[in-house]
Formats: sequence, structure tokens, C-alpha cells
Amino acid sequence: MINMGEEELLKTLSESVVACDRDAVVKAAQQAIEKGLDPVKAIEKGLSKGAITVGEKFDRLEIFLTDLMMAADAMKAGLDILLPLISEEKVLKKGTVVSGTVKGDIHDIGKNILSALFSANGFEVHDLGVDVSTSKFIEEAEKVRADIIALSALMSSTIGGQKDVIDYLSETGKREKFIVMVGGGPTTREWTEEIGADGYAETAMEAVKVALELIEKKRS
Amino acid sequence: MVVFLDAVEKALTGKPCSERDYDLKIFSTKLREVVKEYDIKYDPENLVSSDNSLADDIFKAAFDFYCEVGTYCKDTERIIKFDENEIKDRLRNSPSRIVFGEGVDAGTMVPRKPEDRTPPWRFVGAGGVAVSSEDVFMGLVENYAKIPIANSITTPTLTRVNGIRIRPYSPLEILGAIRTVALGREAIRRAGRPGLPIMNSIATADSAIALVAGLHPEYGLRPTDGYMVATLAELKTNFDLLNRACALMSLGLPTAAIFGPIFGGYCGGPEGTAVVTVAYHLMGALVYQAGWFLAFPIHIKHIASSMPELLWVASVYAQAISRNTHLLALYYDYTAAGPCTKMSLYEMAAQYTAAITSGVSMETGGIAKGRREDYLTPVEPRFAAEVAYAAAGMKREDANEIVKNLASKYVDKIADPPIGMKYQECCDTKTGKPSRKCLNIYNGVRKELKDLGLDLSRNEREY
Repeated sequence: MINMGEEELLKTLSESVVACDRDAVVKAAQQAIEKGLDPVKAIEKGLSKGAITVGEKFDRLEIFLTDLMMAADAMKAGLDILLPLISEEKVLKKGTVVSGTVKGDIHDIGKNILSALFSANGFEVHDLGVDVSTSKFIEEAEKVRADIIALSALMSSTIGGQKDVIDYLSETGKREKFIVMVGGGPTTREWTEEIGADGYAETAMEAVKVALELIEKKRS
Repeated sequence: MVVFLDAVEKALTGKPCSERDYDLKIFSTKLREVVKEYDIKYDPENLVSSDNSLADDIFKAAFDFYCEVGTYCKDTERIIKFDENEIKDRLRNSPSRIVFGEGVDAGTMVPRKPEDRTPPWRFVGAGGVAVSSEDVFMGLVENYAKIPIANSITTPTLTRVNGIRIRPYSPLEILGAIRTVALGREAIRRAGRPGLPIMNSIATADSAIALVAGLHPEYGLRPTDGYMVATLAELKTNFDLLNRACALMSLGLPTAAIFGPIFGGYCGGPEGTAVVTVAYHLMGALVYQAGWFLAFPIHIKHIASSMPELLWVASVYAQAISRNTHLLALYYDYTAAGPCTKMSLYEMAAQYTAAITSGVSMETGGIAKGRREDYLTPVEPRFAAEVAYAAAGMKREDANEIVKNLASKYVDKIADPPIGMKYQECCDTKTGKPSRKCLNIYNGVRKELKDLGLDLSRNEREY
């Protein structure tokens, strides 16, 4: 049974993430260490709980993108303090994602939301930005041993870039190494099937759920 | 007066800033401040507002906001800013009328005011939504041009050249851009209205190089067609977009700034989205030297603009612009539902009634969220143009009741809308004639609108 001090700290961690208060998260994470709180518990029952609330609020548009980005920042600041204290860091991590907008596409808001929600939900995210070349996605995924490559495209003229990454992976014998997810304005379930992607979602929150399911399926 | 080169110089010498700081510390912070300072509040009971002071406050808030935050240039990572006098001067000198089209098909776009009886500019067609083949492209554009009430055409976007999917910045994009122009002009000629202007030139060209390639007069575009330069969310640009503006301005072509502020994104809620929509008009006038303006505020999650909050945004931004400037402003809609559904017609009727009675003109837009290839027919643009025509002159109070009634018919279905049918499923692909089912839906909703007080048959007597 946890004592009140711990309970309050966990609540503070969670609420500070929801309040997008980076300084408060850092302070609470440091206090958690000083008081000897289990860092696994601090993350799972503090930071992550707050992150889940943030994701749900964003999904209902009770908060907006600016809040989401700041909450993800706050979450990351807390993780930076607590994760180094955990020897089996991988146990906590839901997965590693390499994300970006495909070659020729310079739109980033959808991808930013996705990256923020993945981060907030305990994924390690390597966001490559916009107009990312096919080989860059793959090089980075190999370098960080990614579970998922997440490809965003906003334009009907740029979704071909999603197919290019999948084709490149297939033709270089690397397709089975990664889960490939696609999303963005013109992508549909039919397109996902046509190009042989593993997952697709209409919204970023849905993408997190799909990612968790795909990772679980792959690991099992 | 600010000229194009001034904006380019400012992009090179403006205050350096990371994009993240611009988004989170400058844009979002200042936006919250002006919304609070001017006490701007969304009113779900008045989706079409009759409050002139609210419209004027939104304009003032947007003016202060844009003076402070300017436009972010992603390539130079600097902020392009203008002072109060530069903005006022540019607004004063912006065109108040532009002639589009040739011969008997020519028309003049003029500014409007709230409740104005002046018919809105009716820019009709696909709104740049993608099609799978040149045959579908031709069939649609020919039938858009046959809509009697259309005074300009918005073509679809080609996604393939000889069956190969287009890639941006590739030769395929250049070929696609050229074909879009040549096919569009030919389809309009086949409809018997050769002078009708194409005003989303060139839909298939995302990059400046493809745009410039398609501009060669050999392919059929004219100085009396309309041209567009996009912006990046929110209030951002880059060199490729400035290159487009530069090429078009150098040829003296009538250029629109087009912008889709995102409700739920950095704009926040409806109040911030309304302010940012107005600010984009200032950006377009100053950074791109645009002469006409196309706004499509859009929902971050549902990729549509028919929900109540966005109907309010359409109404109040349009009133802010039309009451305080003479800018040539148009509204573009996104529906959640697809073609050949009652819901898509309700969504269009609500949006255009709100925007037109608030003082702007219209382009028909992204049906089925604009995301599905070939989910287009000539019926929805015709219907939308008829609504726009009929709504001109209506009192905002009356429009509000109609809009609220229409929204109540579909609001619960926005999260899971009917996707409707493709052009090939709805229409005879040889003649473009809509199916009986499609026409029954169209006629049924027209009758419902008449019962609500919006009589589309008025159009048949007057145009």
C-alpha cells in the first residue's frame, strides 16, 4: 500500500502533465526520486495516467494542439529524469516509432499531433520532420531499432511517397522488420490495403490504439 | 505601399525564431491574448451572428494579432512582419473588382456585405479533389461547365499520368499540371462555354516548377483565369510558395491566397479560428500580393467544416472581412458526407447560407472530406451554387434559424457520415447525367429548403 506522500506525488505528476506544466513535472519527478518512489510506478501511475487524460481531452477537443504539444513536452521532461533510473527501460516503453511526412510533402500538423500523442502514451518517438526521403525513414528505423515507421501525407499528390517506402522496404528485404502505418488527409483503408501497409487510422488517438494492437500482435 | 520584394526582404531579415517557438510562444500566446482582450465568444444560439460589433471586434483582434505575429517563413526561419500603416495601406489598395473569363462568359467579382442582395461569385466544381483518370476529369469538368449558374470552374486534381501515380517535384507532376490545363480547357469548350474561367489554376501543380510549366500559353490558361497560392498552417509560408506568388505576380495574373485554419489546432477553439481566418486575409494581401482570397476553416478531427462551431466561424469571419474591407473574399466548404447523400446537401446548405448572408462569395469544395478519389458529381456543386444564389439578400436572423435547423439534421452523424457514391456510380459516364436516385435526393432536399424559407427555384427565374 502506498503512503499519502507517494499518492500525492503521483497525483501531482499526473495533474502537472494535464496542466502542461513542465516545471511542475520536473519538480515532482525530482521529489519522487528524493522520496525513493519507484520510478516505474512514478511513470505508470503518474506521468502516463496524466498523458492518457490529455489524449482523451484532445480527442474530445476539450484541449487543443498547443496544450497537447506542451503536455507532451512536460511528459518528456519527466521521463528524462525517471527513465535513466530504470535498468529495464524497455519494459516500460510501449514501442519505438520513427515518424515523418513523406518526400515532397511539407505539411506537419497531423504528424506533430501523432508524434505528441505517441510520446504522451509512452512510445519512444523519432520525428524526422517533413519532406523525408524514403531511405532516411529506413536508415533511422534501423538505427533506433524501431517497431513502427509512421508515414504521414496530406496531399493526394504526395501519398505515393507512402507506397515508395513500403516498396523500398520490400525490394531490399526489410519489409518484415517494421510495422508500417500510414495516415493523413487522402489516406483511406482501401489505400492502406492497396499499398500493403500494416495499419491506418483516421485520427491520431486511433493511431495510438492501432499501434499498440499491431505491436502486441507482432510480439506475440 | 508594400510590394512583393518587401515581403521577400523581410523573410530574409526578419526576427529569427524557431518554428516551435513561433507556434507555441508567439502565435498561440498572442492569439489567446487578443481573444480575451476583445472578449470574443462563440455563441451556439447564433451560428449566423447578427452582431456587427462582434464582427468588428474580430477584425480588430485579427489586425492586432497579425501586426504582432506576422508570417513565419520556414526556409529562412524568420518572421515577416508588417506595421499597422503598411497593413492599412495594402488593404486600401487591394483590388475591389476583378474581371474573370472571356467574351460572353466573362464576369466581374465584386465585394459583398452582410445581407447583400448582390449575387455571390459562384466558383463551381471539384474544389481540387482528386480523380483517378482523365476520363473522370473530363466528364466532371464538362458537366460543371453546363451548370447554368456557374460563373467559373474549379477542376479536380489528376493523380495519375498514363496510369502512373504522380510524385511531387517529379516530371510526372509537370505532365499532370499541363494535362490539367489542357483537359480542363477542352472540357469547358465541349460544354459550349469556352470563355468560362478556370479559377483553381493549376490544381495538379503543388510545386512552383509544375505551376510555371503549366502556365505556358500553349496549354490554354489565360490572364483572365484565376490562380492560387497556398499557405501553411498556421500563418506560414516557404520559398516554394513565394516562388509561385512571384511567378504569378510577374505575369500580372489574378492570384488568390488560400488558407485552411485548423479548428482544434494552434488556432484553438472557434474564437481563435475566426481571428486567424481574418488574419490570413491580411497575410495574403501583404505577403503574396493576392487580389482575392479563399478561406476554408476546417475541423482537426473530422476534416469537415459543417459542425456548429465552424458554421459560426464562417459567419463571423465573413462579416469581419466584408464589413471592414473591400477584399474579394470567398468561402470554401468541406462536407463529412459524400456525394448522392442528403447529409452532404444539408451540410452545404448550412455552410453557404451562413457564409453568403455574412457577405462573402463561394467556391464549392471538398465533398466526403475531399479525401476520396472520384467521390464527386456535378449535382452537389449545382446545388451549392443555387443555395448561395438564393441566400443573397436574406436577413442574418432568418439565415440563423435555417442554419440551425439544417445542422440539427446531420450533427450527430458527422463522426460516422455516409460516404456516398463515386462519379462512375452516380452518373452516366458517357453523358454525365446523374442517376434517378441522385436527382431524387437533390429534388427532395430542395423541397425541404423551400419549406424552411430558402427557395432555390428563385434561381431559375433570375439567372
